[in-house]
Amino acid sequence: MSISMEHMNKIFTYGTLFRQGLIVTVLLSAFTVIIGFFIAMFLAFMLLSKNRLLRLVAGAYVQFVRCTPMLVQVFLVYYAVFGFISLPKFQFLGFIQFERFFPAVVALSLNSGGYMSDVIRGGIEGVDIGQTEAARSLGMPGWMTMKEIVLPQAVKNILPAVANEFVTIIKESSVCYTIGVQDIMFNVKAVQSASFIIVEPLLVATCLYFCLCFPTSKIIGYFERRMRESDKR
Amino acid sequence: MEKIIEVKGLKKHYNKGKIRALDGIDIDVYRKDVMVVIGPSGSGKSTFLRSLNLLEIPSEGQIIFEGTDITAQKVDLNLHRQKMGMVFQHFNLFPHKTILENLTIAPIKVKKIDPGLAEEKAKALLDRVGLLDRVGAYPAQLSGGQKQRVAIVRALCMEPEVMLFDEPTSALDPEMVGEVLDVMRSLARGGMTMVTVTHEMGFAREVGSRVIFMDGGRIVEQGTPDEIFNHPKSDRLKDFLSKVL
Repeated sequence: MSISMEHMNKIFTYGTLFRQGLIVTVLLSAFTVIIGFFIAMFLAFMLLSKNRLLRLVAGAYVQFVRCTPMLVQVFLVYYAVFGFISLPKFQFLGFIQFERFFPAVVALSLNSGGYMSDVIRGGIEGVDIGQTEAARSLGMPGWMTMKEIVLPQAVKNILPAVANEFVTIIKESSVCYTIGVQDIMFNVKAVQSASFIIVEPLLVATCLYFCLCFPTSKIIGYFERRMRESDKR
Repeated sequence: MEKIIEVKGLKKHYNKGKIRALDGIDIDVYRKDVMVVIGPSGSGKSTFLRSLNLLEIPSEGQIIFEGTDITAQKVDLNLHRQKMGMVFQHFNLFPHKTILENLTIAPIKVKKIDPGLAEEKAKALLDRVGLLDRVGAYPAQLSGGQKQRVAIVRALCMEPEVMLFDEPTSALDPEMVGEVLDVMRSLARGGMTMVTVTHEMGFAREVGSRVIFMDGGRIVEQGTPDEIFNHPKSDRLKDFLSKVL
Protein backbone atom coordinates (compact mmCIF):
# COMPACT_ATOMS: atom_id res chain seq x y z
CA MET A 1 0.00 0.00 0.00
CA SER A 2 1.40 3.37 -0.96
CA ILE A 3 1.22 6.59 1.03
CA SER A 4 -0.94 9.08 -0.79
CA MET A 5 -1.82 12.71 -0.21
CA GLU A 6 -5.43 11.81 -0.68
CA HIS A 7 -5.23 9.38 2.24
CA MET A 8 -3.42 11.93 4.36
CA ASN A 9 -6.12 14.53 3.81
CA LYS A 10 -8.76 12.00 4.73
CA ILE A 11 -6.91 11.11 7.90
CA PHE A 12 -6.80 14.72 9.02
CA THR A 13 -10.58 14.79 9.22
CA TYR A 14 -10.09 12.55 12.25
CA GLY A 15 -7.93 15.21 13.90
CA THR A 16 -10.09 15.33 17.04
CA LEU A 17 -9.49 11.64 17.72
CA PHE A 18 -5.71 12.06 17.44
CA ARG A 19 -5.82 15.14 19.66
CA GLN A 20 -7.81 13.27 22.30
CA GLY A 21 -5.45 10.29 22.02
CA LEU A 22 -2.49 12.59 22.52
CA ILE A 23 -4.01 14.08 25.69
CA VAL A 24 -4.73 10.61 27.07
CA THR A 25 -1.19 9.42 26.37
CA VAL A 26 0.32 12.50 28.02
CA LEU A 27 -1.92 12.25 31.10
CA LEU A 28 -1.35 8.51 31.36
CA SER A 29 2.43 8.93 31.23
CA ALA A 30 2.50 11.92 33.57
CA PHE A 31 0.40 10.21 36.26
CA THR A 32 2.45 7.05 35.84
CA VAL A 33 5.80 8.75 36.29
CA ILE A 34 4.64 10.68 39.36
CA ILE A 35 2.92 7.75 41.09
CA GLY A 36 5.61 5.37 39.85
CA PHE A 37 8.26 7.60 41.40
CA PHE A 38 6.63 7.40 44.83
CA ILE A 39 6.30 3.63 44.52
CA ALA A 40 9.95 3.52 43.47
CA MET A 41 11.05 5.60 46.47
CA PHE A 42 9.12 3.32 48.77
CA LEU A 43 10.66 0.22 47.18
CA ALA A 44 14.13 1.78 47.20
CA PHE A 45 13.96 2.34 50.96
CA MET A 46 12.82 -1.27 51.33
CA LEU A 47 15.79 -2.40 49.23
CA LEU A 48 18.12 -0.32 51.42
CA SER A 49 16.52 -1.43 54.67
CA LYS A 50 18.39 -3.33 57.35
CA ASN A 51 15.44 -5.71 57.60
CA ARG A 52 16.11 -8.81 55.46
CA LEU A 53 12.43 -9.58 54.93
CA LEU A 54 11.73 -6.10 53.51
CA ARG A 55 14.73 -6.41 51.18
CA LEU A 56 13.57 -9.83 50.04
CA VAL A 57 9.99 -8.73 49.35
CA ALA A 58 11.07 -5.64 47.42
CA GLY A 59 13.71 -7.60 45.51
CA ALA A 60 11.20 -10.27 44.51
CA TYR A 61 8.76 -7.60 43.35
CA VAL A 62 11.41 -5.90 41.19
CA GLN A 63 12.31 -9.23 39.59
CA PHE A 64 8.63 -9.98 38.89
CA VAL A 65 8.21 -6.64 37.13
CA ARG A 66 11.38 -7.11 35.12
CA CYS A 67 10.84 -10.68 34.09
CA THR A 68 7.22 -10.58 32.95
CA PRO A 69 5.89 -8.73 29.90
CA MET A 70 4.28 -5.34 30.36
CA LEU A 71 1.25 -6.53 28.41
CA VAL A 72 0.69 -9.40 30.85
CA GLN A 73 1.02 -7.02 33.80
CA VAL A 74 -1.57 -4.67 32.29
CA PHE A 75 -4.00 -7.54 31.71
CA LEU A 76 -3.42 -8.89 35.21
CA VAL A 77 -4.19 -5.56 36.80
CA TYR A 78 -7.20 -4.87 34.59
CA TYR A 79 -8.86 -8.28 34.55
CA ALA A 80 -7.64 -9.83 37.80
CA VAL A 81 -7.30 -6.96 40.28
CA PHE A 82 -9.97 -4.63 38.91
CA GLY A 83 -12.13 -7.60 37.99
CA PHE A 84 -12.87 -7.82 41.72
CA ILE A 85 -12.77 -4.15 42.59
CA SER A 86 -15.49 -2.30 40.71
CA LEU A 87 -14.63 1.27 39.81
CA PRO A 88 -17.15 4.06 39.33
CA LYS A 89 -17.95 4.46 35.64
CA PHE A 90 -17.68 8.07 34.51
CA GLN A 91 -15.90 10.22 31.97
CA PHE A 92 -13.61 13.12 32.69
CA LEU A 93 -12.45 15.86 30.30
CA GLY A 94 -15.41 14.69 28.23
CA PHE A 95 -13.79 11.68 26.62
CA ILE A 96 -11.59 9.79 29.13
CA GLN A 97 -13.22 6.72 30.67
CA PHE A 98 -12.12 6.53 34.27
CA GLU A 99 -12.77 2.79 34.74
CA ARG A 100 -10.23 2.01 31.99
CA PHE A 101 -7.83 4.89 32.54
CA PHE A 102 -7.34 4.25 36.25
CA PRO A 103 -6.32 0.54 35.99
CA ALA A 104 -3.91 1.53 33.24
CA VAL A 105 -2.26 4.12 35.49
CA VAL A 106 -2.05 1.54 38.28
CA ALA A 107 -0.50 -1.10 36.02
CA LEU A 108 2.01 1.26 34.44
CA SER A 109 2.95 2.81 37.81
CA LEU A 110 3.57 -0.58 39.37
CA ASN A 111 5.79 -1.48 36.42
CA SER A 112 7.61 1.82 36.33
CA GLY A 113 8.04 1.86 40.12
CA GLY A 114 9.76 -1.51 39.97
CA TYR A 115 12.19 -0.39 37.31
CA MET A 116 12.94 2.95 38.92
CA SER A 117 13.39 1.58 42.45
CA ASP A 118 16.64 -0.09 41.54
CA VAL A 119 17.87 3.09 39.87
CA ILE A 120 17.01 5.13 42.96
CA ARG A 121 18.65 2.59 45.25
CA GLY A 122 21.79 2.75 43.14
CA GLY A 123 21.68 6.54 43.14
CA ILE A 124 21.43 6.70 46.92
CA GLU A 125 24.19 4.13 47.39
CA GLY A 126 26.32 6.05 44.91
CA VAL A 127 26.55 9.05 47.26
CA ASP A 128 29.86 8.94 49.13
CA ILE A 129 29.47 7.45 52.62
CA GLY A 130 31.60 10.35 53.88
CA GLN A 131 28.66 12.67 53.23
CA THR A 132 26.48 10.69 55.62
CA GLU A 133 29.27 10.52 58.18
CA ALA A 134 29.83 14.27 58.02
CA ALA A 135 26.13 14.98 58.46
CA ARG A 136 25.73 12.49 61.31
CA SER A 137 28.83 13.84 63.06
CA LEU A 138 27.14 17.27 63.08
CA GLY A 139 24.26 15.71 64.98
CA MET A 140 21.81 15.41 62.10
CA PRO A 141 19.30 12.59 62.54
CA GLY A 142 19.20 9.88 59.88
CA TRP A 143 16.07 11.17 58.12
CA MET A 144 17.44 14.71 57.92
CA THR A 145 20.73 13.43 56.52
CA MET A 146 18.77 11.57 53.86
CA LYS A 147 16.58 14.56 52.99
CA GLU A 148 19.13 17.38 53.11
CA ILE A 149 22.38 15.71 52.14
CA VAL A 150 22.01 12.33 50.44
CA LEU A 151 18.85 12.66 48.33
CA PRO A 152 19.76 15.98 46.66
CA GLN A 153 23.03 14.42 45.55
CA ALA A 154 21.38 11.13 44.59
CA VAL A 155 18.99 13.03 42.30
CA LYS A 156 21.94 13.92 40.11
CA ASN A 157 22.81 10.23 39.80
CA ILE A 158 19.27 9.10 39.07
CA LEU A 159 17.92 11.92 36.92
CA PRO A 160 19.21 10.61 33.59
CA ALA A 161 17.68 7.21 34.26
CA VAL A 162 14.36 8.69 35.42
CA ALA A 163 14.21 10.85 32.29
CA ASN A 164 14.83 7.75 30.27
CA GLU A 165 12.04 6.02 32.16
CA PHE A 166 9.60 8.88 31.39
CA VAL A 167 10.35 8.53 27.70
CA THR A 168 10.00 4.75 27.96
CA ILE A 169 6.62 5.11 29.67
CA ILE A 170 5.29 7.43 26.95
CA LYS A 171 6.11 4.74 24.42
CA GLU A 172 5.12 1.69 26.46
CA SER A 173 1.81 3.22 27.53
CA SER A 174 0.73 2.29 24.01
CA VAL A 175 0.00 -1.25 25.22
CA CYS A 176 -2.92 0.17 27.20
CA TYR A 177 -5.07 0.41 24.08
CA THR A 178 -5.57 -3.35 24.61
CA ILE A 179 -7.72 -2.66 27.67
CA GLY A 180 -9.63 0.08 25.90
CA VAL A 181 -7.80 3.17 27.08
CA GLN A 182 -8.32 5.73 24.33
CA ASP A 183 -4.71 6.74 23.89
CA ILE A 184 -2.92 7.45 20.60
CA MET A 185 -2.76 3.79 19.54
CA PHE A 186 -6.43 3.19 20.37
CA ASN A 187 -7.41 6.01 18.05
CA VAL A 188 -5.07 4.76 15.35
CA LYS A 189 -7.05 1.52 15.42
CA ALA A 190 -10.32 3.47 15.40
CA VAL A 191 -9.30 5.55 12.41
CA GLN A 192 -7.99 2.49 10.58
CA SER A 193 -11.28 0.65 10.92
CA ALA A 194 -13.41 3.66 10.08
CA SER A 195 -11.43 4.70 7.01
CA PHE A 196 -9.86 1.41 5.84
CA ILE A 197 -6.55 3.31 5.65
CA ILE A 198 -3.79 1.41 7.44
CA VAL A 199 -0.41 3.07 7.07
CA GLU A 200 -1.11 6.81 7.31
CA PRO A 201 -2.67 6.73 10.80
CA LEU A 202 0.42 4.88 11.96
CA LEU A 203 2.59 7.63 10.49
CA VAL A 204 0.62 10.23 12.43
CA ALA A 205 1.09 8.16 15.62
CA THR A 206 4.81 7.79 14.92
CA CYS A 207 5.09 11.53 14.56
CA LEU A 208 3.10 12.21 17.75
CA TYR A 209 5.16 9.81 19.86
CA PHE A 210 8.39 11.25 18.53
CA CYS A 211 7.25 14.81 19.19
CA LEU A 212 6.48 13.82 22.80
CA CYS A 213 9.63 11.87 23.54
CA PHE A 214 12.28 13.95 21.84
CA PRO A 215 11.57 17.28 23.61
CA THR A 216 11.08 15.47 26.92
CA SER A 217 14.55 13.99 26.84
CA LYS A 218 16.00 17.33 25.73
CA ILE A 219 14.29 19.29 28.52
CA ILE A 220 15.49 16.89 31.17
CA GLY A 221 18.98 17.01 29.67
CA TYR A 222 18.89 20.77 30.21
CA PHE A 223 17.97 20.43 33.90
CA GLU A 224 20.66 17.83 34.31
CA ARG A 225 23.30 20.25 33.05
CA ARG A 226 21.97 23.00 35.28
CA MET A 227 22.19 20.81 38.35
CA ARG A 228 25.86 20.19 37.69
CA GLU A 229 26.41 23.89 38.42
CA SER A 230 27.79 23.14 41.85
CA ASP A 231 30.41 20.76 40.43
CA LYS A 232 31.88 23.46 38.24
CA ARG A 233 35.31 24.74 39.03
CA MET B 1 41.50 18.11 85.70
CA GLU B 2 38.03 17.51 84.32
CA LYS B 3 37.55 14.41 82.24
CA ILE B 4 35.58 15.09 79.06
CA ILE B 5 35.77 11.66 77.42
CA GLU B 6 36.46 8.37 79.18
CA VAL B 7 37.15 5.33 77.05
CA LYS B 8 36.75 2.03 78.87
CA GLY B 9 37.74 -1.36 77.46
CA LEU B 10 36.99 -0.32 73.89
CA LYS B 11 37.10 -3.19 71.40
CA LYS B 12 36.15 -3.37 67.75
CA HIS B 13 36.06 -6.71 66.01
CA TYR B 14 35.22 -7.59 62.43
CA ASN B 15 34.40 -10.97 60.91
CA LYS B 16 33.19 -12.46 64.20
CA GLY B 17 36.35 -11.59 66.07
CA LYS B 18 38.84 -12.68 63.45
CA ILE B 19 39.99 -9.12 62.81
CA ARG B 20 40.63 -7.01 65.88
CA ALA B 21 40.83 -3.37 64.85
CA LEU B 22 40.73 -2.27 68.47
CA ASP B 23 41.78 -4.67 71.16
CA GLY B 24 41.02 -3.02 74.47
CA ILE B 25 41.59 0.72 74.71
CA ASP B 26 41.41 2.60 78.01
CA ILE B 27 42.11 6.29 78.00
CA ASP B 28 40.73 9.57 79.31
CA VAL B 29 40.60 12.85 77.45
CA TYR B 30 40.79 15.88 79.72
CA ARG B 31 39.43 19.32 78.99
CA LYS B 32 41.91 21.41 76.97
CA ASP B 33 43.89 18.30 76.14
CA VAL B 34 45.53 18.31 72.73
CA MET B 35 45.83 14.59 72.29
CA VAL B 36 47.70 13.38 69.25
CA VAL B 37 47.37 9.76 68.18
CA ILE B 38 50.20 8.33 66.10
CA GLY B 39 51.03 4.87 64.84
CA PRO B 40 51.60 2.81 61.73
CA SER B 41 48.77 2.38 59.24
CA GLY B 42 46.36 -0.34 60.30
CA SER B 43 47.15 0.27 63.96
CA GLY B 44 43.50 1.17 64.65
CA LYS B 45 44.03 4.87 65.33
CA SER B 46 41.33 6.04 62.91
CA THR B 47 38.92 3.38 64.18
CA PHE B 48 39.63 4.60 67.71
CA LEU B 49 38.88 8.21 66.76
CA ARG B 50 35.72 7.28 64.85
CA SER B 51 34.53 5.28 67.85
CA LEU B 52 34.58 8.39 70.03
CA ASN B 53 31.47 9.80 68.32
CA LEU B 54 30.22 6.34 67.43
CA LEU B 55 30.68 6.54 63.68
CA GLU B 56 32.11 3.10 64.43
CA ILE B 57 29.94 1.11 66.78
CA PRO B 58 32.18 -0.55 69.36
CA SER B 59 31.96 -4.33 69.75
CA GLU B 60 32.69 -3.97 73.46
CA GLY B 61 33.42 -1.25 75.97
CA GLN B 62 32.11 2.17 76.80
CA ILE B 63 32.56 5.75 75.69
CA ILE B 64 31.60 8.14 78.45
CA PHE B 65 31.20 11.71 77.19
CA GLU B 66 30.64 14.42 79.79
CA GLY B 67 29.44 11.80 82.26
CA THR B 68 27.01 10.04 79.91
CA ASP B 69 27.66 6.58 78.54
CA ILE B 70 26.89 7.24 74.87
CA THR B 71 27.22 3.57 73.94
CA ALA B 72 24.07 2.87 75.99
CA GLN B 73 20.94 1.93 74.05
CA LYS B 74 18.57 4.73 74.92
CA VAL B 75 20.97 7.67 74.66
CA ASP B 76 20.12 10.43 72.17
CA LEU B 77 23.33 10.17 70.21
CA ASN B 78 22.53 13.13 67.95
CA LEU B 79 22.49 15.41 70.96
CA HIS B 80 25.99 14.34 71.99
CA ARG B 81 27.40 14.37 68.48
CA GLN B 82 26.55 18.06 68.23
CA LYS B 83 29.16 18.70 70.91
CA MET B 84 31.85 16.61 69.19
CA GLY B 85 33.09 18.32 66.04
CA MET B 86 34.69 16.05 63.49
CA VAL B 87 37.08 16.81 60.65
CA PHE B 88 37.69 14.15 58.02
CA GLN B 89 40.63 13.26 55.84
CA HIS B 90 38.57 13.84 52.70
CA PHE B 91 36.82 17.01 54.01
CA ASN B 92 33.32 15.70 53.18
CA LEU B 93 31.91 19.14 52.53
CA PHE B 94 28.41 19.04 51.04
CA PRO B 95 29.05 19.67 47.33
CA HIS B 96 25.51 20.80 46.52
CA LYS B 97 25.57 23.59 49.08
CA THR B 98 27.52 26.85 49.16
CA ILE B 99 30.20 27.41 51.76
CA LEU B 100 27.79 29.47 53.86
CA GLU B 101 25.11 26.78 53.61
CA ASN B 102 27.66 24.13 54.57
CA LEU B 103 28.43 26.11 57.70
CA THR B 104 24.88 27.01 58.71
CA ILE B 105 22.81 23.95 57.86
CA ALA B 106 23.50 22.09 61.09
CA PRO B 107 23.22 25.12 63.43
CA ILE B 108 19.92 26.10 61.79
CA LYS B 109 18.32 22.69 61.28
CA VAL B 110 19.75 20.77 64.23
CA LYS B 111 20.35 23.39 66.93
CA LYS B 112 17.44 25.55 65.70
CA ILE B 113 19.52 28.71 65.90
CA ASP B 114 18.09 31.83 64.25
CA PRO B 115 19.37 31.81 60.62
CA GLY B 116 20.60 35.40 60.86
CA LEU B 117 22.65 34.65 63.94
CA ALA B 118 23.99 31.42 62.47
CA GLU B 119 25.17 33.24 59.34
CA GLU B 120 26.77 35.98 61.38
CA LYS B 121 28.69 33.46 63.44
CA ALA B 122 29.67 31.43 60.38
CA LYS B 123 31.03 34.52 58.64
CA ALA B 124 32.99 35.59 61.71
CA LEU B 125 34.62 32.15 61.96
CA LEU B 126 35.24 32.03 58.22
CA ASP B 127 36.97 35.37 58.48
CA ARG B 128 39.28 33.96 61.14
CA VAL B 129 40.54 31.30 58.71
CA GLY B 130 40.87 33.91 55.97
CA LEU B 131 38.09 32.64 53.69
CA LEU B 132 35.34 35.20 54.10
CA ASP B 133 35.54 36.10 50.41
CA ARG B 134 34.57 32.52 49.45
CA VAL B 135 31.33 32.55 51.40
CA GLY B 136 29.13 32.14 48.30
CA ALA B 137 31.36 29.63 46.50
CA TYR B 138 30.73 25.92 46.12
CA PRO B 139 33.20 23.40 47.61
CA ALA B 140 34.36 22.30 44.14
CA GLN B 141 35.68 25.83 43.58
CA LEU B 142 38.06 25.66 46.55
CA SER B 143 41.54 24.17 46.89
CA GLY B 144 42.11 21.22 49.21
CA GLY B 145 43.55 23.40 51.95
CA GLN B 146 40.64 25.81 51.71
CA LYS B 147 38.16 22.93 51.85
CA GLN B 148 39.72 21.57 54.99
CA ARG B 149 39.69 24.99 56.65
CA VAL B 150 35.98 25.29 55.79
CA ALA B 151 35.40 21.78 57.18
CA ILE B 152 37.03 22.85 60.46
CA VAL B 153 34.84 25.95 60.59
CA ARG B 154 31.76 23.82 59.85
CA ALA B 155 32.46 21.76 62.94
CA LEU B 156 33.23 24.89 65.01
CA CYS B 157 29.90 26.47 64.06
CA MET B 158 28.21 23.89 66.28
CA GLU B 159 30.27 25.19 69.23
CA PRO B 160 31.62 21.76 70.15
CA GLU B 161 33.22 20.78 73.44
CA VAL B 162 35.82 18.68 71.68
CA MET B 163 37.18 18.45 68.15
CA LEU B 164 38.12 15.16 66.51
CA PHE B 165 40.56 15.30 63.60
CA ASP B 166 40.92 12.19 61.42
CA GLU B 167 44.16 12.63 59.45
CA PRO B 168 43.17 16.16 58.45
CA THR B 169 46.23 16.81 56.28
CA SER B 170 46.73 13.39 54.68
CA ALA B 171 44.74 14.15 51.53
CA LEU B 172 46.37 17.55 50.97
CA ASP B 173 49.08 18.62 48.58
CA PRO B 174 52.23 19.32 50.60
CA GLU B 175 52.09 23.09 50.10
CA MET B 176 48.61 23.20 51.68
CA VAL B 177 49.39 21.27 54.84
CA GLY B 178 50.76 24.36 56.57
CA GLU B 179 47.62 26.47 56.28
CA VAL B 180 45.48 23.73 57.86
CA LEU B 181 47.97 23.07 60.66
CA ASP B 182 48.04 26.81 61.37
CA VAL B 183 44.30 26.79 61.97
CA MET B 184 44.58 23.73 64.22
CA ARG B 185 47.46 25.30 66.12
CA SER B 186 45.48 28.45 66.82
CA LEU B 187 42.52 26.33 67.95
CA ALA B 188 44.76 24.47 70.39
CA ARG B 189 46.18 27.74 71.72
CA GLY B 190 42.59 28.98 72.16
CA GLY B 191 41.98 26.15 74.62
CA MET B 192 39.97 23.76 72.42
CA THR B 193 39.98 20.14 73.50
CA MET B 194 41.31 18.15 70.55
CA VAL B 195 41.95 14.55 69.60
CA THR B 196 43.98 14.32 66.43
CA VAL B 197 45.06 11.34 64.38
CA THR B 198 47.92 12.47 62.21
CA HIS B 199 51.17 11.62 60.48
CA GLU B 200 52.48 15.13 61.07
CA MET B 201 55.10 14.40 63.73
CA GLY B 202 56.12 18.06 63.80
CA PHE B 203 52.59 19.04 64.79
CA ALA B 204 52.44 16.29 67.42
CA ARG B 205 55.72 17.39 68.93
CA GLU B 206 55.01 21.10 68.90
CA VAL B 207 51.29 21.36 69.70
CA GLY B 208 50.38 18.09 71.40
CA SER B 209 49.91 18.05 75.16
CA ARG B 210 49.83 14.26 75.11
CA VAL B 211 50.91 11.79 72.48
CA ILE B 212 49.42 8.29 72.16
CA PHE B 213 51.28 5.64 70.20
CA MET B 214 49.03 2.86 68.92
CA ASP B 215 49.93 -0.42 67.29
CA GLY B 216 47.89 -3.59 66.67
CA GLY B 217 44.69 -2.08 68.06
CA ARG B 218 46.26 -1.20 71.44
CA ILE B 219 47.88 1.78 73.07
CA VAL B 220 51.53 0.81 73.28
CA GLU B 221 52.92 3.95 74.83
CA GLN B 222 51.70 7.38 75.89
CA GLY B 223 53.24 10.47 77.34
CA THR B 224 54.29 14.04 76.70
CA PRO B 225 55.76 14.83 73.28
CA ASP B 226 59.19 14.95 74.92
CA GLU B 227 58.75 11.47 76.45
CA ILE B 228 57.45 9.94 73.24
CA PHE B 229 59.80 11.52 70.73
CA ASN B 230 62.98 11.96 72.76
CA HIS B 231 62.80 9.07 75.24
CA PRO B 232 60.78 6.25 73.64
CA LYS B 233 60.69 3.11 75.79
CA SER B 234 59.18 0.33 73.68
CA ASP B 235 60.93 -1.23 70.71
CA ARG B 236 57.86 -0.80 68.53
CA LEU B 237 57.77 2.95 69.12
CA LYS B 238 61.52 3.23 68.53
CA ASP B 239 61.12 1.27 65.31
CA PHE B 240 58.18 3.46 64.22
CA LEU B 241 60.00 6.70 64.98
CA SER B 242 63.09 5.56 63.11
CA LYS B 243 60.90 5.18 60.01
CA VAL B 244 58.95 8.43 60.20
CA LEU B 245 61.41 10.95 61.60
